[in-house]
Amino acid sequence: MGKSKQVGKHSKGKKKNISKTWKTKRRTKDLDQIHADMIPVNAVKLLKQDVDYDVTGCAQHYCLHCARYFVNLKTLKEHFKSKPHKKRLKKLKEEPYTQAEAERAAGMGSYIPPKTVEVHTQQVEEDMD
Amino acid sequence: MRIEKCYFCSAPVYPGHGMMFVRNDCKVFRFCRSKCHKNFKKKRNPRKTRWTKAFRKSAGKELTVDNSLEFEKRRNIPLKYNRELWSKTMEAMKKVEAIKNKRQARFIMNRLKTGKKLEDAANISEVKKNIHLIRAPHAGQAKQLEDKMVQKLAEDVEMDE
Repeated sequence: MGKSKQVGKHSKGKKKNISKTWKTKRRTKDLDQIHADMIPVNAVKLLKQDVDYDVTGCAQHYCLHCARYFVNLKTLKEHFKSKPHKKRLKKLKEEPYTQAEAERAAGMGSYIPPKTVEVHTQQVEEDMD
Repeated sequence: MRIEKCYFCSAPVYPGHGMMFVRNDCKVFRFCRSKCHKNFKKKRNPRKTRWTKAFRKSAGKELTVDNSLEFEKRRNIPLKYNRELWSKTMEAMKKVEAIKNKRQARFIMNRLKTGKKLEDAANISEVKKNIHLIRAPHAGQAKQLEDKMVQKLAEDVEMDE
């Protein structure tokens, strides 16, 4: 349940340093930040970014839910079918955890159970050739 | 000065204890100890981590909805010191705490009762299913047959007479 996601040796030889990935320096987006990104106003901005040569795929192929850039449309589509993406969608189905919820859990007011949110994979344009 | 609540485990964070993490979007996270901070860094969900208050509440292990929980609040209005008010509040706090503890204990005891019921039902069904281990299915049947034969013979004799 609460264990580290790394099971066995999936990295095939190149061993990732887990403690390094947990450093705040390399911190990736949290689920509540992604929930904020999923608001249509913000989502449009992220999905239609200007060409940026410093970012993977010139920032043209972005997965909103996994907060990841992809090289091209093909890899992005492949990613949508992958397990990490589906797992991420499942995680996002629950309302994000907040400090207010922590306080309610501590006995400051009655506890309100989290609501479920509908999450779907973003639509991709087919007319790209 | 304020006693904050830990973001991860909901424990009180007293001044000078724990640590505060400010994310690059200015959101503040307070942690009561390094354990909570480490778990946060590992992106664990407090609702799914068994030892946190959020888990206990969301999984229905503890009392969640009650009027006694509504007293502790974040009050953002400063109050001028008043000895009478202070002493009354202290008294009220003690009483509320006592009531709250009692209700929480009662909730847990009631929760455990269902387990006991389920256990009893399971035991009964197990005995019913495996009754053949205690009593052979044909035990006593020979005796019954014999009794029947004797009865029939007696009837036949009566009929003949």
